[in-house]
Amino acid sequence: MLTGPMLTASPRIPASTMEWRRFKYPQSLYRYFGLLAALTFICYSVVYLNIPLERFIGLFGRVGDLLANRYFPPDMDYIADPDYLASVLDTIKMGYLGALFGMLLAIPLAWFGSWNVSPSRRFLYPVARFLTMSTRAVHETIWAILFVTVLGYGMLAGVLALTMFCIGFAGKLFAVEIEAINMGPVEAMRATGANELQVFAYGVFPQVRVAFTGIGIYTWDVAFRAATVVGFFGAGGMGWYLKRNVLEIETHRVAAIMVSIIALVLVSEGVSAWARVRVAKAK
Amino acid sequence: MTVHAANPELVERISAARARKKTSRTLLAIVVLVLVAISVETTIVADTDWERMGSLGDVLQNAAKFFAVDWSLFPNLIGPALETIMVATLGTLLGVIVCVPATWFGALNITPFKPVTYPVARLMMTLSRSIHEIVWALFFVAAVGLGALAGVLAIAMRSVGFIAKMSAEAIEDLDPKPVEAIRAVGGSEFQVFIYAILPQVLPVIIGVVIFEWEINIRRSSILGLVGAGGLGLVFFRQMNTFNYAGVTSVIVAILILILFGEIVSHFTRKAVT
Amino acid sequence: MPPILQVKDLKVRYSLTGPEILKGISFDVGAEDFLAIIGPSGAGKSTLIRCINRLVMPTSGEILLNGTDVLKLRPRALRKLRRNIGMIFQEFNLINRMSVIDNVLSGRLGYVGNFRGLFRLFSKEDIARALSMLERVGLSDHVDKRADELSGGQRQRVGIARALMQDPRLLLVDEPTSSLDPKISREVMGLIRDIANEFNVPVLCNIHDVGLAMEFCNKIIGLQDGIKMFDGPTGKMNERRLNEIYAMEVL
Repeated sequence: MLTGPMLTASPRIPASTMEWRRFKYPQSLYRYFGLLAALTFICYSVVYLNIPLERFIGLFGRVGDLLANRYFPPDMDYIADPDYLASVLDTIKMGYLGALFGMLLAIPLAWFGSWNVSPSRRFLYPVARFLTMSTRAVHETIWAILFVTVLGYGMLAGVLALTMFCIGFAGKLFAVEIEAINMGPVEAMRATGANELQVFAYGVFPQVRVAFTGIGIYTWDVAFRAATVVGFFGAGGMGWYLKRNVLEIETHRVAAIMVSIIALVLVSEGVSAWARVRVAKAK
Repeated sequence: MTVHAANPELVERISAARARKKTSRTLLAIVVLVLVAISVETTIVADTDWERMGSLGDVLQNAAKFFAVDWSLFPNLIGPALETIMVATLGTLLGVIVCVPATWFGALNITPFKPVTYPVARLMMTLSRSIHEIVWALFFVAAVGLGALAGVLAIAMRSVGFIAKMSAEAIEDLDPKPVEAIRAVGGSEFQVFIYAILPQVLPVIIGVVIFEWEINIRRSSILGLVGAGGLGLVFFRQMNTFNYAGVTSVIVAILILILFGEIVSHFTRKAVT
Repeated sequence: MPPILQVKDLKVRYSLTGPEILKGISFDVGAEDFLAIIGPSGAGKSTLIRCINRLVMPTSGEILLNGTDVLKLRPRALRKLRRNIGMIFQEFNLINRMSVIDNVLSGRLGYVGNFRGLFRLFSKEDIARALSMLERVGLSDHVDKRADELSGGQRQRVGIARALMQDPRLLLVDEPTSSLDPKISREVMGLIRDIANEFNVPVLCNIHDVGLAMEFCNKIIGLQDGIKMFDGPTGKMNERRLNEIYAMEVL
């Protein structure tokens, strides 16, 4: 494109004596090996699980057909029934209580389980860590089944299952928040000779109060979502209606229940997003 | 040293503001407590069959049956545990694939037709995130039948929303400077994408995907309850045969699996960022 | 000798109703020039320099680079033109997560096809060239480091090496020292001047720091609010003219 006498740039740079290869031994080998292992695992999974890949073809259309023929139109009269609406109210209450109890228990656990302020790093820290991790690792539906077995059918089991779930959920987020605080006030409180509880109440809690409120609202939102399904295993609320109609293959009613769940969850998500913005602003 | 007398007007204003704040706090506390009382009354006191439950001793005795581990079950758990991880992995992978268009439509700066594609993508993301995995699984079991495929689809649909939302945010936060640099050296648009956009976005997305994979292990561990295989199915069987020690074994297996997921995710995320 | 770059009556407006950023600028760059564009911030310096390789499309005017009308080029030809114009940026514009050598090699992208670019398959000559460039700018110990591990001065050196990889026939330099401290700034400016001499390329350089402009450049253009206030050899610049150019900023 550009030619001309002065444009034939002639770099008078001496050739480099350095050696360089993109492939580094052994780092690159590890990386390729890791990638290969991941790929093999994925392919093996498809074979092991007998995933019929050909069923993906036209999956979209078949799901659409299914929705149109068997689930549409949703039986709206069914969800307008007062009994069903009462169960919705119960579900909201369950979510509310579960989130509240869970958070109340999660706060001390988060305190004990934060490395920077834990009163005892030897004993309380690992115990709190283990409790938060295991309450979180076990799915809320498993908690629901366990509590139903021990306590019988009913919302008590549901509330306790949600409590366990929220301990783990909120506890982890709370601990992350506490581990990110400014340690200055904590040192100042320790310097005045305050005991560990006072240090937490005056040095830690004021710093994380706003963040905790935000997490609390989020936990409530998530607990409500979980509350809609614990009833599926006998722990009260609208999940029971879902189970009954799934078993009876009342697809139009199932569709109506799903619509109501989606609508409620969207409302709760909207409310929670609004409330979190309010809290962040009121800071 | 003299002590300054405080301005009385100021003191009054401050204490008035304090009092206002205090009343609103007290009100909030009362509302919360009343709601708790109502909820406890209806959900716990009135709804529980206290007679069937019996005394505290009975409850503890009832619960005690779970405090044993059926070690003989563990060899039979390896297969289902593997299945659980595989369902989580394939589900996450499928979720990532579905994510590509969702992210493209849902990132403000690249969405092809803002008034339509952007809100549609955002609605899809919210829907995907807000429907519980059990509900997704029920739906797909009805659509494709019992088996791992339903589980994979449920996991995929449940994770699309979160991955797409975070990826879209990463793309919206893109630093335009490297883009300008690659344009200036005469790179094609494709090269701009490969050299300036991907290196910025990919680590974020991989981090999110690994995070979601870890959560998906937890989710896929229960999909067996609604017929999608894995540890959940074993759990269900142990429960139905009243082998409570076996139930505890499954829970222990789930804990181990989640711990494994956390370790893998920790190291992989370290490696990519 | 004829000028390498001729700019005639260049006007830029970012939007139809927006203010005119450049209000008719004309100047020439000769084959051995190190030309500085000075002026207060907001005068249009960055816009002017980005018009030359069309990172910004001017509203009207003419830019002739060695006889080629830059503003009439189609995308493919424009890319071919750009690969011969090196550009050095204020904030280095490196790809932070890539290694130093890959950043330098990315200067060759204009010469490399999409496929080779995708898998970073650069030729042996390109790699040898990148290494010698890194040696020249004094970074031979940092070849495999990630760009974001380097200090500001080192990053700008990577930026210089990347521009040199392009086999540039013109260097555009946009505020190379604004993100650097004074000592490093002088080093970087010295390096750019030395390299321009070695490679025989003219330089067009935006610079906020008048002292550096006077020290390193042979010609100066003074911009104020999109209008050219001064154009001449460095020797003719004086206190009074400077005050005129920077009058707005004093206010």
